[in-house]
Amino acid sequence: MLPIKQGQVAIALVCAVLGFMLAVQFRTTQDIKSSIPFQRIEDLSQRLSQTEKERDTLLKQMHELRQTPELESAVKEAQNIRMGAGVVDLEGKGLIITVDDSKRLSKAGDNPNLYLIHDEDILKVINELWAAGAEAISINEQRLIATSEIRCAGPTLSVNNTRYSPPYEIRAIGEPQTLENALKMRGGVIETLQFWGIQVSVKKQEIVQVPAYKGTFRFEYAKPVKDGGK
Amino acid sequence: MLLPLIGLIIGMVMGSFFPLTIPVEYAKFMSVALLASLDSVFGGLRAGAEDKYDNTVFVTGFFTNALMAAGLVYVGERLGIDLYYVALLAFGLRIFQNLAIMRRYFLKK
Repeated sequence: MLPIKQGQVAIALVCAVLGFMLAVQFRTTQDIKSSIPFQRIEDLSQRLSQTEKERDTLLKQMHELRQTPELESAVKEAQNIRMGAGVVDLEGKGLIITVDDSKRLSKAGDNPNLYLIHDEDILKVINELWAAGAEAISINEQRLIATSEIRCAGPTLSVNNTRYSPPYEIRAIGEPQTLENALKMRGGVIETLQFWGIQVSVKKQEIVQVPAYKGTFRFEYAKPVKDGGK
Repeated sequence: MLLPLIGLIIGMVMGSFFPLTIPVEYAKFMSVALLASLDSVFGGLRAGAEDKYDNTVFVTGFFTNALMAAGLVYVGERLGIDLYYVALLAFGLRIFQNLAIMRRYFLKK
């Protein structure tokens, strides 16, 4: 066809490189296109199976509660309440999320604050984890309980009145896949954080240990309402 | 003409099975580099059609074009100048121009 006779091998090499680039680019585009609906299907089927499992365990629980005498169920309930209050060490399947400040240099004119981790970022991650059904969460060895605060304290982060500097390690117990999906959702928390170069790594783990809350509970103003004392 | 085609096919096969995907943030640079190399290839074909083909010019042009295009777009992004669209426009225009010239050449023949 064309009267090119010289350096056929070199041209072949160039063509190989071109073909390689074409194929990789094609696959990348394909990935970007197909990932959204695929993720959705996975998400939905997972939710279905999770709900089914939950229903089964609830049914089982109902049977058990009907059969066991009062005392045993009271012990179980006390255990549940202690777990919920966060005064016992817990372990189970879950995620370990490490968050660190951005290593990227800020562009001229940009606010360097945008590249640092703020309490809001951590709160968003925590919120997403609770929403995805996390059962217990800790930040750098501090168990999150009902009165835990997460707040910027200068360049550090204050959790349960203890200060920590980055990197922050968030441990969450819950269904790992669900938690991970909730975080890695398109347009979700991690994508937003990574846009600013904040380093987030999510590790699924078979056993995650969440420490107990080590402080004490003080109730100065709150008193329980007596039964029928309305 | 057979050897380049074989090379192209080998490259495509390798690319489809090589476990390499480009992260979304770098996909932009890759596409510009790809467009630049496509432009070089079409430029080379056109030169071949006009009997002005030079092997070294073609091979060096292929690699430097791709790398320079991606590099320029990267620098532009750092400086806040969106050179991405400029590169798309320039390379795209040249590809179509070269196509037109090649078509005329083949028609004349």
